[in-house]
Amino acid sequence: MIERIAAFGRLGLDTVSSFGRSGRFLAGVLGGVPRPATGFPLLMKQLYAVGVLSLPIIVVSGLFIGMVLALQGYTILSDYGSEAAIGQMIALTLVRELGPVVTALLFAGRAGSALTAEIGLMKATEQLSSMEMMGVDPLRRVVAPRLWAGFIAMPVLAAIFSVIGIWGGMLVGVDWLGVFEGSFWGNMQSSVDFVDDVLNGMIKSVVFGFVCTWIAVYQGYDCVPTSAGISSATTKTVVYSSLAVLGLDFVLTAVMFGDF
Amino acid sequence: MDSSAYISLRDVVFSRSGRRIFDGVSLDIPRGRITAIMGPSGTGKTTLLRLIGGQLRPDSGSVVVDGHEVPRLKRKALYAFREKMGMLFQSGALFTDLSVFENVAFPLRVHTSLPEDMIRDIVLMKLEAVGLRGARHLMPSELSGGMTRRVALARSIALDPELIMYDEPFAGQDPIAMGVLVKLIRDLNSSMRLTSVLVSHDVPESLSICHYACIIADGKVIGEGSPEQLREHPSDQVQQFLQGQPDGPVPFHYPAEGAARDFGLSGGVS
Amino acid sequence: MAQRTTEIIVGLFMIAGVAALLVLALQVSGLSAKSAESTYTIYANFNDSGGLTPRGRVSMAGVTVGTIESITLNKETFQARVKMSIHSDVDNIPADSSAVIRTSGLLGEQYIDISIGAEMESLKEGDTFYSTQSAMNLERLISNFASGRAGN
Repeated sequence: MIERIAAFGRLGLDTVSSFGRSGRFLAGVLGGVPRPATGFPLLMKQLYAVGVLSLPIIVVSGLFIGMVLALQGYTILSDYGSEAAIGQMIALTLVRELGPVVTALLFAGRAGSALTAEIGLMKATEQLSSMEMMGVDPLRRVVAPRLWAGFIAMPVLAAIFSVIGIWGGMLVGVDWLGVFEGSFWGNMQSSVDFVDDVLNGMIKSVVFGFVCTWIAVYQGYDCVPTSAGISSATTKTVVYSSLAVLGLDFVLTAVMFGDF
Repeated sequence: MDSSAYISLRDVVFSRSGRRIFDGVSLDIPRGRITAIMGPSGTGKTTLLRLIGGQLRPDSGSVVVDGHEVPRLKRKALYAFREKMGMLFQSGALFTDLSVFENVAFPLRVHTSLPEDMIRDIVLMKLEAVGLRGARHLMPSELSGGMTRRVALARSIALDPELIMYDEPFAGQDPIAMGVLVKLIRDLNSSMRLTSVLVSHDVPESLSICHYACIIADGKVIGEGSPEQLREHPSDQVQQFLQGQPDGPVPFHYPAEGAARDFGLSGGVS
Repeated sequence: MAQRTTEIIVGLFMIAGVAALLVLALQVSGLSAKSAESTYTIYANFNDSGGLTPRGRVSMAGVTVGTIESITLNKETFQARVKMSIHSDVDNIPADSSAVIRTSGLLGEQYIDISIGAEMESLKEGDTFYSTQSAMNLERLISNFASGRAGN
C-alpha cells in the first residue's frame, strides 16, 4: 500500500521534473538565435519537411470535412427553411474551430511524430552527442530550425485547410444540393468578421503550432535512446499534442468567443 | 606527476543512477602518444571519454586537459575547447542526411569561415588520408560499417585537433577493416602529432599499437603502464583480463544458491 | 534535394498560405477596401432593443446604410439607446423617419430598418429618431395568437 502511494508520488515528481526539463529545453532552443547565413537554409529545409509535405493530408482532409459539413448542415438547416445559411455555417465552423484544431491534430500525427522519431533516432545513433563534441550546440542546429518551422507552417496549413474546406462545402452546397450561390457567399460574408473570426482562428493555430512542435521536439530530444524508447516517445508526442490542442482550444474559445 | 601529461585525472568520483562508476580514479595520459584504456564491459570507459570531453561533470575530483580544468569551463569556453578535440563514436555517428563530403566538411563550415574551395581541398585531403576520397558523394546509408568509421575519423581530424578519442574502434570489425583502422590510428598519431586515447576491450589490437595502457575495473585503475609492463603485471585481475581467462578474480558463475537446491539433488547441504 | 528547389517550393507554400489568408479576408469575410469611410452618428431610443447587437446592420429600403455602434440603457427613461453610424453620403434621411427593428428571415438576426418620413429637413450628426418601433416579441405574439386577440 505504502509502495503504491510512493509510486504515485514518484510519478507526480517525474511529471513535474519533466515539465521543468522541457521548459529549460525551450529556453535553450529559443535563446540561441542562429546566424542567418547558416540558419536560413536549415529553416527552409525544415519548412519543406514539416509544411510542404503535410499539404496532401491537410488538403484532402479539408476538402472532405468541408463537403461533409455541407451535407450535414443542409439536412439540418432545411428543417428551418434556412438552407441559404449554409455558407455561413461552414465558414464559421471551419474558420473558428475546425480549421485550427483539425489541422493541429493532423499536424501532430504526421509532422509531430516524424520530428520526434527523427530527433530520437539522432540521439540514439549518437549524432547529437558527436555534434556536441564538435562544439556545435544541437539545440541550435537541429532543434531550433524545426521548432520555428512548425511555428510558421501551422497557421499557413490552417488557412489552406479552411479555404479548401469552404470550397468543398461550396461544391456540395451550391453545385450539388442547389443552394443559391449568391446567398451562399452573401450570408457568409455578412456573418464572418475578419478580425473576430479569421484572425482569432489564426491566433489559435499559431498557439497550437507552437505547442505541438514544442512537444514533438522535446519528446524526441528527451527520449530513451533505444528503439523502444523512440516508439514510446512518438506515441507520447501524438497523445500529448492532441490533448494539449483540445484543452487549449477550449480555453481560447472561451476567451475569444465567450462573453467573459 | 608526469609533467608532460596531456590529460590528468585526479581522484575522480562519478556516479550515475545510484551506481558508483568511478571511485577515485587517477591517471595520466601522456602527450603525443597512443594511450589505451581497457577494461571489462560496463566499467564506464565511454563515461571516461565523456568526462574528458566535458559532456559529463565528475561528482568530485579534477579533470585537467592541456592545463584546463574541464568541469569548470563555461559553455562558450567549453565549445571552443572542443574544437581542439576529435571524437570517434562507436557507431560512427555520421549525419544521415548529409553526404560523406558534407559530413567531413561540417566542422569546417561551423567553426571557420573558410571559402568553399579551401574547404573542398581540406575535406578531400582528410578523405585521402583515410583512403576514401573516391567515396565523397556517397550517403552514409550506402557505406559499410568500416567505411562509416573511416569517414567519421576523417571528420574528427577535419579541424586538425590535438586530441582524438576513439570509443571502441575495433568492435565488430572484420580483419581487413581492423587492419585499416590500426594503420590509420598509428599513422595519424605520428604524422599529426596527436594525443590519441583509445577505449577498447580488444586486448591484442590495443596493446599492439598503444604506447601506454590503463586497465579500469570496478571503478578503479587496477593496472597501468606500457604494454610490456602490463604483461608482467603481478595482479591476478590484470592477468585474467589480458589473457582472457574465463574464470579468475572475475568469476565464471553469476552468484547463485547451491546447485543441489536447484537441481533437486537429495542429501548434502549446499 | 537541391537547395534551390527546396527554397522555391517553400516559397510557393508560403505564397499559397498568404493567398488562402487573402481569400479568407476578401471572399469569406467580405472585408472591403473601403472600410475607412466617413460616417455620422445618430441615435434611436427603443422600448425593447430585442436581439440587436453592436455591428448590426442599419438599412433603408433594403440597402445597408450603416452599422450599430453601441446599445446602452438610458436609466432615466428605461429605454435602450442605440447609437448608429450612418454613411456620410446618406445625408438626406427625413427628420421624421422612424427606426424599426426587423428580423431577417424567421430565425435570422435582427437589424434596424429606417422607415422614411416626409419632412424636408434631414437628420444630422447627433440627432435622435423621433419615433421607433421596438422588436417584435415572439412570446407576446404567441400568447396574443393563443388568446385569440388581433393586432398588438
